[in-house]
Amino acid sequence: MINLIVIAISAIMLALLLVWWRWPAFRVWIEAPKYSMLRQERRFDAGSARR
Amino acid sequence: MTTSAQNLTSRNERVINTQTLGALPSIEYGLIRAHVFASLVTLVISVLFGILVATKFTFPEFLGGHGWLTWGRLRYNHTQGIFFGWLGNAFLAFFYYVVPRLANRPVLSRRLGWFLFWVWNFAVVLPGWVLVAAGFSQPLEWAEFPLVVDAFVVLAFVLMVFEFVLPFLKARLSDLYVSAWYIIGGIIFTMLAYPVGNLVPELVPGARGAAFSGLWIHDAVGLFVTPFAAAIAYYLIPATTRRAIFSHFLSLVGFWLLFFTYPLNGTHHYVYSAIPMAAQKGAIVASAYLGMAVILVVTNWLLSLRGSSGTVSKDVPLRFVWFGVVSYLVVSLQGSIQALMPVNRFIHFTDWVIGHSHLAMIGFASFIALGGIAHLWQRIPGTRYNERMMNWSFWLLAVGLTLMVTDLTIAGLVEAQVWQSSAPWIDSVRAVGSYWLVRTLSGLPILAGFVLFWTSLVTGPRLSEAITSGTSRVASESIVAFENVSPASATLFSTDWLSYAHVVAFGAGVGFFALSFLVLAILPGKELEAEIKQVAPVTMATLTASEQRGRVIYGREGCAYCHTQQIRSLAADVRRFGAPTEPWETKYDYPQLWGTRRIGPDLSREFNLHSRDWQLTHLYNPRLVVRDSVMPPYPWLFDGSPSQPTQEGLEVLAYIQSLGRARQLSGFDHQTLASSVQPETPDMAMASEPSARATPPTVPIAMMGGYSLTAPVLHPASDRDDLQEEVSRGRTLFAANCASCHGSAGRGDGKASASLLPKPANLTAALFSDERLSSVLWNGVAGSAMPPWRQLPTEDLRALVAYIHSLHVPGATPSTQEATSLNEGKPLFAANCASCHGDTGAGNGPAAGALAPPPTNFRLKKPTQERAWDVLENGVPGTAMPPWRSQLSADQRRVLVEFVRSLYGPPQENSGQ
Repeated sequence: MINLIVIAISAIMLALLLVWWRWPAFRVWIEAPKYSMLRQERRFDAGSARR
Repeated sequence: MTTSAQNLTSRNERVINTQTLGALPSIEYGLIRAHVFASLVTLVISVLFGILVATKFTFPEFLGGHGWLTWGRLRYNHTQGIFFGWLGNAFLAFFYYVVPRLANRPVLSRRLGWFLFWVWNFAVVLPGWVLVAAGFSQPLEWAEFPLVVDAFVVLAFVLMVFEFVLPFLKARLSDLYVSAWYIIGGIIFTMLAYPVGNLVPELVPGARGAAFSGLWIHDAVGLFVTPFAAAIAYYLIPATTRRAIFSHFLSLVGFWLLFFTYPLNGTHHYVYSAIPMAAQKGAIVASAYLGMAVILVVTNWLLSLRGSSGTVSKDVPLRFVWFGVVSYLVVSLQGSIQALMPVNRFIHFTDWVIGHSHLAMIGFASFIALGGIAHLWQRIPGTRYNERMMNWSFWLLAVGLTLMVTDLTIAGLVEAQVWQSSAPWIDSVRAVGSYWLVRTLSGLPILAGFVLFWTSLVTGPRLSEAITSGTSRVASESIVAFENVSPASATLFSTDWLSYAHVVAFGAGVGFFALSFLVLAILPGKELEAEIKQVAPVTMATLTASEQRGRVIYGREGCAYCHTQQIRSLAADVRRFGAPTEPWETKYDYPQLWGTRRIGPDLSREFNLHSRDWQLTHLYNPRLVVRDSVMPPYPWLFDGSPSQPTQEGLEVLAYIQSLGRARQLSGFDHQTLASSVQPETPDMAMASEPSARATPPTVPIAMMGGYSLTAPVLHPASDRDDLQEEVSRGRTLFAANCASCHGSAGRGDGKASASLLPKPANLTAALFSDERLSSVLWNGVAGSAMPPWRQLPTEDLRALVAYIHSLHVPGATPSTQEATSLNEGKPLFAANCASCHGDTGAGNGPAAGALAPPPTNFRLKKPTQERAWDVLENGVPGTAMPPWRSQLSADQRRVLVEFVRSLYGPPQENSGQ
């Protein structure tokens, strides 16, 4: 049980780190939502201000 | 602003404004207002329930006359009110605000939203509270609302999937923000975990059911509360600071780690229990990983706040979230440490855990939810907002919570210390009495803080237009940089398949749900099933119908929240309560009542521990028999007095007296009479070890002839000064432990005496030998309410012996006439009394072995003339001693009085070793 948990979590972490390290485009893609969230926030604020 | 900066900002504005994102989706402000209002109403009511519950620790009789306001039912409603009423409504309000922003689509339907609102509040929270108060509940932690309410909870989660998850599925976004991941994952996971955690323990008994319950206890916090609070924090921090979070990659790593490890934590609530050790250790490892995951998540949040300390101090909603983030770090690390076996063995079941859970539910979840509500409230046009009052609310809550958590943590350590010793259980209750008072007082600023929060949303200036939080220049620069790079990434990361990110989140919920139940409940359950089949006695009887009904009442009144029914494999537990609980002992427990908290002692071996009338008196009013008990009274189970239980009272009694019966009747434990010195119990005790099967000090041991050869004989000090000191110490001990039955002057007229049969001994009406007193204190008196006190230190027992001696007033020496009557008394005694009391009056006649309480040993106890006369006249109700006034003449009885008094003369002393 312990081995299963340790191996599974380690594998997930390793895979994520590997992808992040090997593909810069992945880094760009995975960070994109934090900007789109801000864009949306700005749109809604602007919409509220217009009202 | 410099010209270059203005140019840059202007260029950024153009870039952003040229985005074609379509019309703004509508936001259901009416539903937001309704859920905010419902959340605050239920919050204040739930906190009031909590304060009443806390007050009852100091004043157990407070509002204790009616079942609707008893401790157990209020406690159920406190936690369920916080969970469903407060946090549920707060999260729903936030979903209506944030889902249209994140999905760029409105929620599915306004009408569905109002239906969900009505289901959540008028089919779950309100009827849940009423049913629990009326006595219809489920005695499972975080699952106290009855099953009929649970059906509506599941319906509500299904509605949430349509209302909030469907917009994401329809939008098919390629860039799903982390808050959306948490919202989708949390809704899906809870929708699946809730029915399993609530229903399965009703169908799967005992230890196997506990494995499922443990999962839900943790899932409720880890997969309902945490994801939604995290969604708020991830949204509110960038929305307020107007800067993107530090790393979206880290936020998703945190998401996956939390969803992977949270469900695997469940069994850490049952460390050292009968659940297979592999599952326990798996949960402990997962708890350690969870701590690491939380460090990652919190680091990301704090780095997102870098350079924004001014905003944190100025913006109260953001300050609420910041406090929540810090609390999350502390409480999660605390949780990971608590799960470790060396810590868990010490602090589990204590108030430390209650402090921990308040830090989680108030410090983390409530602070973040409050921040979320305050944030969105300012952005609803036309609302009022009083910033000064909001600021006061923050400080009252922060101070109250800090005081409460500190106080409960220390109280937990104090309790743990007493439990590790051999001191009687009630000493741990006495030791934390002042901490419970402080805890109650700390609830007042918390209540005031919540009320002020509510007030701050309905007073102050009306916001004519919503606050606009234009993206800062820094963020605009970042967005432009991102726009320039993203085309390059598009070739590798096609948005076609990435648009299914929400499906992955959906799948995560389902997948981890299945994994956690397989690993921590189904597989250990199989193992337990096989073990039970192999070990359980074939003759093990089920509960009778009356005992079953008593079990339901026991659950209804919340008894399992103060009394566990699981003896852990630990020396401290075994020494106090007996051998560790084995899975087969709980094979008929639907649902399990193991409990996760001890205010009172464990009850799993209550069979034969206390007499029937002691139990009834204790249920009617615990302080009649245990002076400093904080247990609530249950007068509604009686018709006005402890000797007149209702049918329900008798059923509870039947159930309590059945606990541990199967084990005792099956002969699993060897009743070691020679237990004056208990064998050394290893730290990690196994049920099969002989040391774990010794008789615990709370179990009465039958004596022959009124005393026990195994009990040490405690002689009071011979030095006069030392004796005075012992008597003084004994008086204090007597007042604390004995006076409720024997009366403050030892005349057997304590508050409990009216309902106890046989009556407590009048200690002034006889001269007791040291052997007799030592044996009674050591073994208790079988067949009476007198328990053994051998868990007290020897010095205390000696002081009690000294004090009881001091109660006796010596009478006149026998006259010549009395000496004559001794010769006449002998044949009378032999003819009428010796069959029980023995030829020499040593209480060892042929019939003595079958009598409980045993006949008096007159060699160890010399009654006063008045007492002996009274007994011969009236007998001793509740014992085998009949009245003799119709069989013997007054002269004969007078002769017998003198004869039995002449028998006194302690036997040869034993060492007690």
